[in-house]
Amino acid sequence: MDLIQLTEKEERPQAPKPGEVELRFSDRGVKELDYLLTHYPDRKSAMLPALWIAQREYGGNLPAEAVAEVAVRLGRSYAEVEGVATFYTMYHIRHAVGKHVIEVCTCIACALCGAYRIADYLKAKLGVDWGETTPDGTFTLEEVECLDACDRAPVLMVADEYIGPAAEKDVDTLIERLRNTEEPTTVRLADEVTQAQLHKTEQASAQD
Amino acid sequence: MPETRLLLKHSGDPEYRAIAGYMAEGGYVGLKKALTMERQAVIDEVKKSGLRGRGGAGFPTWMKWNSVPKEKTKPHYVLCNADEGEPGTFKDKELMENTPHLMIEGMIIGGYAIQAEVGYVYIRAEFMDCARAIKMAIDEAYENGFLGKNILGSGWDHDIYVHMGAGSYECGEENAMMRSLMGERGMPGLKFPHAPFPTIEGLWNLPTLINNVESFACVPHIVVNGGDWYAMIGASTKNSRGTKIFSVSGHVNKPGNYEIEFGMPLMELLELAGGMKGGELKACVPGGSSVPMINKEQCEKAIIGYEELVEVGTMVGSGGCIFLNEHTCIVTFIWRTTLFYARESCGKCTPCREGSGRLVAALARLRSGDDAQKTAALRDIDELVTVMRSASLCGLGQMAVSPATSALQDFRQAVGAPKGANT
Repeated sequence: MDLIQLTEKEERPQAPKPGEVELRFSDRGVKELDYLLTHYPDRKSAMLPALWIAQREYGGNLPAEAVAEVAVRLGRSYAEVEGVATFYTMYHIRHAVGKHVIEVCTCIACALCGAYRIADYLKAKLGVDWGETTPDGTFTLEEVECLDACDRAPVLMVADEYIGPAAEKDVDTLIERLRNTEEPTTVRLADEVTQAQLHKTEQASAQD
Repeated sequence: MPETRLLLKHSGDPEYRAIAGYMAEGGYVGLKKALTMERQAVIDEVKKSGLRGRGGAGFPTWMKWNSVPKEKTKPHYVLCNADEGEPGTFKDKELMENTPHLMIEGMIIGGYAIQAEVGYVYIRAEFMDCARAIKMAIDEAYENGFLGKNILGSGWDHDIYVHMGAGSYECGEENAMMRSLMGERGMPGLKFPHAPFPTIEGLWNLPTLINNVESFACVPHIVVNGGDWYAMIGASTKNSRGTKIFSVSGHVNKPGNYEIEFGMPLMELLELAGGMKGGELKACVPGGSSVPMINKEQCEKAIIGYEELVEVGTMVGSGGCIFLNEHTCIVTFIWRTTLFYARESCGKCTPCREGSGRLVAALARLRSGDDAQKTAALRDIDELVTVMRSASLCGLGQMAVSPATSALQDFRQAVGAPKGANT
């Protein structure tokens, strides 16, 4: 039976040994996590926000050390945190990503409006397939499901920005712009997500 | 029939996003009024309005509100489902970006009616523009005394926090959403009648009110103008009241959000969206990808309303209306739709995890196989549909089969296969 393969080949990180976990969150990250913990009645509920902070602090990816740090800070097991992180597609734990992740929506409305054509163009232009990173570590191309901007189909997403309806020339402009962007947009997204969950007073206090 | 813009009335106005502009247009009057009313009176207004959940299931909103325990012995919570992920739907995105205070005000009123102290807005992480707008609205509401301690001198405290998702369609299901908020994998659990409703045992096993963004956004209008006023909108339908935002996409000239009164014919919605692009109408998925697809004849008969659309074999769903033109290959379309469910299946229950992948494989054979393979594929699809529909744990698996079943009705005749038990 011609069953389809739904997941890419995964590289599972090795968990650090107990006692070897190094806590690397910045002061700001620690303060932000402290504030987020006050939003919920128990520590476990801050899991998703803590993973977002970790993704920012560890440069846009969630290596085993980052997962271990979250586990220590929330008082949970490594396996539990890894289990949660691998469930969500926006945590970069299944494979490491480059500086900029270009997410291409190929879901139904975008597929109707030519998303696969744009995808082929991007693949040829960057020389990578889905889930792969360019050799210089700049771009990662990801196929994603509905981004809910079907009125702008076909749509691409880079960090917190939607680009659509995307034609070939928009893709060229985007790539050119991202090549000249020094700061990794993966880190920026994780930071934006964290900031959105904090109240204004908490944000100001965490940045002191 | 033109649009009836109630929620999207000020959608194009940037001033309306900030609290000053919102209050200049009558913002937070509903909250002030609600705080002078008895809690039960607020729920009764929502009951009179006939408001039904805008997230997909169409469950009467007041019944949720009313089923939260009236005698408060433990904390209550409000959870706003802003994890819009249904392919074809983008109404909550526009509502949150352009009218964030409307939703926040509705949430505060809901929180007051059920005596909650904390509300959470669960937003998918892709929607950063929405998250920023909602966060700003919350900050402004605190500064103006609409949130925090002793709101407007009522002695009632309420906080609202934003909680960001991390990329999962399944988290839009209320059980999965609660688990995700509690720091777990976003997988659904047992539902009523096997487990109590979330309004009895929700977040941290405490009473939790979960409503969609659009449902909450309707509430301030209902409180200000009264439930009877709201119930007059869409009164030509059997049991659908008020306005509904439809996100129109696919092969149309002007894709976008259109807020219409219930009772409008589906073809008029298509006219509003500028008519078909690139060819004649072939089929339509009127309520987001998980509702059954209807063909042109059914479209022409369809009236938009919860019961009215069921009569032509489909549903209102979340309002993601996708029109397909005559050049679209229906089998490819349903293959792609089913692939979405296969990828987004959380993997908890076997019928959905295995069934969705096998359904995609069968549809692929239907696309490219010879006649014998096609007949075999149709038989497989029939079997898979029965299993997935009856044995999946949550709506994802149960509804993942609806594109295949509805669209293949026509297709079976085309290939001369016998009519299946389920299609």
